Amino acid sequence: MYEDVPTPAVKSTPKKSEASPQKKKPVEKDTEKPAAKKRGPSKDERAAEIASLFKCAAARRKKEGVEELDKPPGLPNCLAGLTFVFTGELNSMSREESTEVVKRLGGKVTTSVSGNTTYVVAGEGAGPSKLKKIEELGIRQVSEAEFYDLIRYRPSGGKLTEKQKEAQEKAEKQMKEEAKRMEKEEQATEKAQARKAVVAGREGIAAKRGPALSSQLWTTKYAPKTLKEICGNKGLVEKLGTWLEAWPANYKANWKKPGKDGSGSFAAVLISGPPGIGKTTSAHLVAKLKGYSPIELNASDARSKKLIQNATNVDNASLDGWFAGGGLTKDSAAGLEINSRSCLIMDEVDGMSGGDRGGVGAMNILIKKTRIPIILICNDASTPKMKPLNGTTWPMKFRRPSNTEMRARLMTIAFKEGLKLEASALDTLIESSQSDLRQVLNMLSTWRLSKQAMSFEDGKSLGKESQKYTIMTPFNIVPALIGPYAFSKTSRQTLNDKLDLYFQDFSFVPLFIQENYLKNAPARIPKGDDPESQMKRLECFSKAADAISDGDLIDRMIHGQEQHWSLLPAHGFSSTIRPAYWIYGGSSAAGYNPVSFPAFLGQNSKRQKLARLLGDIQIKMRLKVSGSRDEVRQDYMPLLASKIVLPLTRKDEAADAPESIIPYLDEYYLNKEDWDAFVELGVGEMKGETISSRIPAATKAAFTRAYNKVDHPVAFHRGELLFAGKKGTAPRPDFDEAFDEQEAPAGDEDDADAETPDPNADLGKDKLIKMPKPKRASKATPAASKAPVKRKKKD
Amino acid sequence: MSLWVDKYRPRQLSELHYHSELSDRLRSLASSGDFPHMLVYGPSGAGKKTRIMCTLRELYGPGVEKLKIDQRVFVTPSKRKLDVNVVQSNFHIELTPSDVGIYDRVVIQDILKEIAQTQQVDLNAKQKFKVVIINEADALSRDAQAALRRTMEKYSTNIRLIMCANSTSKIISPIRSRCLLVRVAAPEEDEMLKVLKHVAKKERLTLPDESALSIMQEANGNMRKALLIFEALRMQSPDLSSSIDIAKADWETYCSKIADQVVQEQSPQNLMKVRTGLYELLSHCIPPTMILKTITGALLLKVDQSLQPSIIHWAAHYELRMAQGNKKIYHLEAYFAKLMSVLKNFNYMGLDDDDIDF
Repeated sequence: MYEDVPTPAVKSTPKKSEASPQKKKPVEKDTEKPAAKKRGPSKDERAAEIASLFKCAAARRKKEGVEELDKPPGLPNCLAGLTFVFTGELNSMSREESTEVVKRLGGKVTTSVSGNTTYVVAGEGAGPSKLKKIEELGIRQVSEAEFYDLIRYRPSGGKLTEKQKEAQEKAEKQMKEEAKRMEKEEQATEKAQARKAVVAGREGIAAKRGPALSSQLWTTKYAPKTLKEICGNKGLVEKLGTWLEAWPANYKANWKKPGKDGSGSFAAVLISGPPGIGKTTSAHLVAKLKGYSPIELNASDARSKKLIQNATNVDNASLDGWFAGGGLTKDSAAGLEINSRSCLIMDEVDGMSGGDRGGVGAMNILIKKTRIPIILICNDASTPKMKPLNGTTWPMKFRRPSNTEMRARLMTIAFKEGLKLEASALDTLIESSQSDLRQVLNMLSTWRLSKQAMSFEDGKSLGKESQKYTIMTPFNIVPALIGPYAFSKTSRQTLNDKLDLYFQDFSFVPLFIQENYLKNAPARIPKGDDPESQMKRLECFSKAADAISDGDLIDRMIHGQEQHWSLLPAHGFSSTIRPAYWIYGGSSAAGYNPVSFPAFLGQNSKRQKLARLLGDIQIKMRLKVSGSRDEVRQDYMPLLASKIVLPLTRKDEAADAPESIIPYLDEYYLNKEDWDAFVELGVGEMKGETISSRIPAATKAAFTRAYNKVDHPVAFHRGELLFAGKKGTAPRPDFDEAFDEQEAPAGDEDDADAETPDPNADLGKDKLIKMPKPKRASKATPAASKAPVKRKKKD
Repeated sequence: MSLWVDKYRPRQLSELHYHSELSDRLRSLASSGDFPHMLVYGPSGAGKKTRIMCTLRELYGPGVEKLKIDQRVFVTPSKRKLDVNVVQSNFHIELTPSDVGIYDRVVIQDILKEIAQTQQVDLNAKQKFKVVIINEADALSRDAQAALRRTMEKYSTNIRLIMCANSTSKIISPIRSRCLLVRVAAPEEDEMLKVLKHVAKKERLTLPDESALSIMQEANGNMRKALLIFEALRMQSPDLSSSIDIAKADWETYCSKIADQVVQEQSPQNLMKVRTGLYELLSHCIPPTMILKTITGALLLKVDQSLQPSIIHWAAHYELRMAQGNKKIYHLEAYFAKLMSVLKNFNYMGLDDDDIDF
């Protein structure tokens, strides 16, 4: 079934790259001379490493008979100061690998061409828009071989322009100064502590000394002490400060003065953002700097509704006791003192769940009554759990600090701690931790315990080890599966890797694949609109569609009665990987093409809803009609539509339409809701929306009025509805009034009438059925129209 | 006001216009006092239900025509509440267990047994047994059919089953062997013409033969459809001239539009448009098999004759898959992808029976 899915060539032996620099002409010959052709002692090791990096691609290429290019290891930092853009597919490396090579050698890689780009490496099928831009900007375009030559012949450390060197030196100087300043500060604090200890010792109090700075965690040691030191989110931190400053004034104004940014009407702020970017730190720091003493409650404290109301005690009258008692009777919250200069920091608010039931609601009450500022911190403010806080708190969304912001700070710290850190290594760490400053700092401090330097490779492996496990959503799984290089010769993903992607969400990924596969331009078919490639392309799609169809058959075995869950991998291959194999490639339409959400789900629930409505119609019609649901939909509806729907759309008939329509509705026991459902069930020209737009509002209103004016026969009552009606609390006074007139004791004549073939005559004689008649009192209308007509139908 | 098809529905065996032999047999069965379980099958619109009701009337008299609808709520073992509509008279009860999908077994077990365990209470009733009509019997799941087996034998003093189905192929053989199979074939053209003329006479109309012919062609042996089309035609042109084209049903027009799309251009973009169209039809309760059949029918008229066998082959192939699978749209889409591929192939290379493989 899957024999035409290729097994990735991973077992082939690596081809060792033997550089032969003399034979190749250096690409930058006119401006540069080959600087280093010799290799240091560690070069062999390095070469092997690089060779292993390339081996997978090499094996593939060998199989496909592509000429092998030598891959030079390059000298450290030889690409420093250069910015590369890769376009198209390289023969020997995947996109990730080439990016890695450049980064390892100190260069930069961007995705789009700009004025800062030094080289564009163009591979097979390079994007035309990129090539055009290259020409416009006059950027040098190099081939894959030239790219290797570049690596081979550039000297260690690259060749930087004066400007770049200057900038680099300046940054270094700044870093050193900063480190010195930090050193000084540290010494000062230590001295101060020592002095305190001495004073305390003299008074006979045991010195309460904090741990020595050297034994502290880096995260504590280098926690920002001034606003300047906070990484990123500067604007928000400042706003937080002004809000805290204005708090007492706003409190006095009873939150009536929103101020410029609207913060004046909130007694609390809600800080949200991913972990490790300094939310708690900023909150603490700002509170301290503005003269507040922060009280922190976090997930380690129980925070149920009751505890929040009692323990925090913030609005309690006993707070007055503190002012009166001069501090002797202390109010406390979680063991901390509270005074008017306190500030409550509620950390990890979104962790309030389970045992902390009602916590968020209690928070809101607290916010309403509080006399001290409250800062709430959570990771995601958009979760439904946080919804109650939407209107009561001032939202502040912290973003991840940019790489440059983080790099400056982290390099300084590393320098101060004597860790030789390559900038590229730091970048990979930041990337792998998703800009989690705290995590990077912890990783660095652990590393420093055993080593003094960190290279790019070290950073990469460390980053990989401590990579956060993230659950991928179908929106990023699908591009990974059917993206331009998913099954290309340089792809590193094995079939198992792909199957893992399917297992990330095995119920949704197949749906997403089915929704999106048609939007691809299969990479296996050359671009172009000639009939042959069009034909081949369609064959690809047909094969993909067949595979999806196979997948559904397997799905039936899994979700059907047999419950063969062991078939799940087979389902994965058939429903996801095989279609992806046929149609992987770029998007067929130009521009941005987001992954769309499967229409199947919406369409399916629509089908279920309409099937229910159709079922309602059919069962009512059943008293007169022998057809099943499908027969009613397919055969009756077209004719019935021309009797009960279309007259409303014609201008000349619209006036008499209700009179002609209502008898039909009554004959088949259909009510107004069924009529609406009826309209909704049409397709094409009879599509619900089309028809509704063709019926003038006035006509429709007239029809509704005419329908409500008279009473209608009812086929049967829904058990539950009747029950609910009885349960209804308010007695409806009009109910009896509307009925008394016509209500006669149930007689046997209705039995006799049942056989009369003409139903109209039947209706006339049957006293239990109200014949159309104008309403007397308008106030009786709603009750009467809603009230069930007591029609004992022939039993 | 009632539609003609309901207004002139025969109510007694003697009023039936065709299959008179069958009517005679049913009459003698009803009078014999030893009425068997029956499995009535035949295409849609052949007159199965009409004959069943006529037979019941023969059994019990006019009382069976006094129908009422009950909605029963019952709970599945997984605590899901289900509504089942039950149509009944004093003498018979009519169930459509397939309405509740995979829970049809529960309906059979609960409701049917409950009915079967009680005897006929009406002393004036002509027969000792009650009749249970099971609609869409071919849509019953295997479990439900198995549940039916024993009930049929055990309670045969109290109930008789009349099952109504389109084909017997989906009914398990133990059930088939317990029933008297009654085939109601679609009416022949002259029989349909007889009915049409009868209705025309009652409505005081004259139906020209050509119009009748085009009606019958459109109806394709479906008497219900023929009468509905007849009435629609009458609305379109009161003089019933045959010059006017009979308006197709909304979904049929839509299907032929999709067929046009397929023939017009074969491309992934167009396939996506076709998918949207299919979703539209499916969500509006047109059965997938009907969609496939109708579109294929329209397609066959539009393509080269030499392609027709392969189109029919693929239609059959994917129709089977639809029956075996869950998500009908996948198979429909695969069918149209295949068709587009075949068409494109044909346009480019001429006829080539082999699949081109990579």
